[in-house]
Amino acid sequence: MSETPLLRPIPKAPGYLASALRVFDLSVGEMLWSRRTIFMALVVGAPVLISFFMRMLDALGAPIFHVNGTIMTGPAIFGLMIWVFYLRFTVPVLGVFYGTSLIADEVEDKTITYLFTRPIPRGAVLIGKYFAYLACTFFVVLPSVVIVYLAIVPMRGSLGASFLDLLKDLALLAIGLAVYGAVFAFIGARFKRPLLIGLVFVFGWEQAALAFPGYLKKFTVAYYLQAMVPHAMPNDSVVSLIQGIFHETPGLGESLVWLTLILLVFLWLAAVNVDRKEYVLEQ
Amino acid sequence: MSTPVVTTEHVSKWYGQVIGLNDVTVSVPPGVTGLLGPNGAGKSTFMKLITGQLRPSKGSVKVLGEPIWRNPHLFFQIGFCPEQDAFYERMTGLEWVRALVRLNGLSDKEADEAATRALTEVGLLEAAHKKIGAYSKGMRQRVKLAQALVHDPQLLILDEPLAGMDPIGRRKTIRLIRDWGRAGKSIIVSSHILHEIESMTSNILLINNGRILAEGDVHQIRDLIDEHPHTVYVRAADPHRLARQFLNDVTGDDVRSLRFEPGAVVVETGKPDVFYARLTEMAAGGEFGEIEEVTSPDDNLQAVFQYLVK
Repeated sequence: MSETPLLRPIPKAPGYLASALRVFDLSVGEMLWSRRTIFMALVVGAPVLISFFMRMLDALGAPIFHVNGTIMTGPAIFGLMIWVFYLRFTVPVLGVFYGTSLIADEVEDKTITYLFTRPIPRGAVLIGKYFAYLACTFFVVLPSVVIVYLAIVPMRGSLGASFLDLLKDLALLAIGLAVYGAVFAFIGARFKRPLLIGLVFVFGWEQAALAFPGYLKKFTVAYYLQAMVPHAMPNDSVVSLIQGIFHETPGLGESLVWLTLILLVFLWLAAVNVDRKEYVLEQ
Repeated sequence: MSTPVVTTEHVSKWYGQVIGLNDVTVSVPPGVTGLLGPNGAGKSTFMKLITGQLRPSKGSVKVLGEPIWRNPHLFFQIGFCPEQDAFYERMTGLEWVRALVRLNGLSDKEADEAATRALTEVGLLEAAHKKIGAYSKGMRQRVKLAQALVHDPQLLILDEPLAGMDPIGRRKTIRLIRDWGRAGKSIIVSSHILHEIESMTSNILLINNGRILAEGDVHQIRDLIDEHPHTVYVRAADPHRLARQFLNDVTGDDVRSLRFEPGAVVVETGKPDVFYARLTEMAAGGEFGEIEEVTSPDDNLQAVFQYLVK
């Protein structure tokens, strides 16, 4: 009995990272021009508009920059905006909305089939889309920070003197987007209703854990990010309330180690989950 | 004897409480095989299982001699054209096919050549630089076929590839599938229209209610179809003119009845072969306006299945 050969010589498969980068190429344009980007533009557009408004008020001599008799400088306001608008809101919110949808969007659009029927590991699809998420969010968030910097810092401050802080802020936000994205990529890959879980994590768990003394805060991302904020907050002011959050912060090195660890572990868990999960498309 | 390209052993698949496939044991030989069954019969579940998109709840699935679940390497040898009309709409046909074949490890230049070749093969080269969002239904079906064959796979799995195509596109695609089969590729193609499957191959798998009812030669059940009316939905620029021609033509005894729907005419025919041939000629002539879409609901096939199951 003769049998026909089943398999031809198999070509060399692209490596895991090479596969991920090719998925990135395929996905980044679609992700950038998706409806989600409009939402992202609105989120990062708000601080830009606020900064222009503040600059206008300052030019008109409005006394809103006097807090408890202290005049707030541009760099101090910029630092406050980085913390309040970006680090505590924009970065985690974008992480939730994008991270949880890395695979979910493809499943909802039913385009996931094309990626899962190619000779690449499914996990590489997730990693490629994670890279696309980073590219999209960096492309929108970081320029908006630079615009806010240019608008706010010259108010009783110097652009040159604060430039190093700007670079640190940009790095901090990039790390925040990367780590939150990895955490929510895992939540998106593992759980049903990931958006709800993500929002509860950001606005429930992280806020509560940071407010309580003890070890709970170590189970948040924000705890490690706050150690890297380069700005000193003014004392004797309303702002000092916020500064309270900065107490008990870990060292910079320790924070970087933990954030790297969180990023790698959650990204790996997300990839493993995508690799093993079956996706049933709606008929 | 040739080795089967797909084998399943006691495969069942449940979606929660709903059963998609029930204890299916089957061997699909090389060559062209038609998977025939009404909507909801389990065709798509079968297709998804043999393309490793779903994991069987019970039993085993092997493709080209290897388990398919979590075995992406097999996709060097498999091309899949899914049923769903889903794309990256902002990409052009060429960009999309090229990006997908790059996932097979081809360099940019190789991917470009392969994508151009595949689009040429399905007759889409002229529209290669148009955005997929601007493609007609038939073009969208063909670009899906292009991405399935772009890496020259040994096994093509095509889920309802003719759905929504116009008569000429349908005829061209049937010819393509037959050509690929003659060229030595193995093809598993699903449809709920016996007439379509019959025009591609005589080897069929009959599936209904999640079970394989029969496998073998299509001619064994062919005669049954004539006993049951076959309904065809034709969306056209001028359905009334088309309907007049259906009835006026001297060979018009193939039409039993017809009714109108918005922008379309629904024809019941007792001779689907004659009717489809006539429709194709009318579409090719172009004198009765553009025929945009031809689909066939599955109720006629359902009647045959009910007869078979009795």
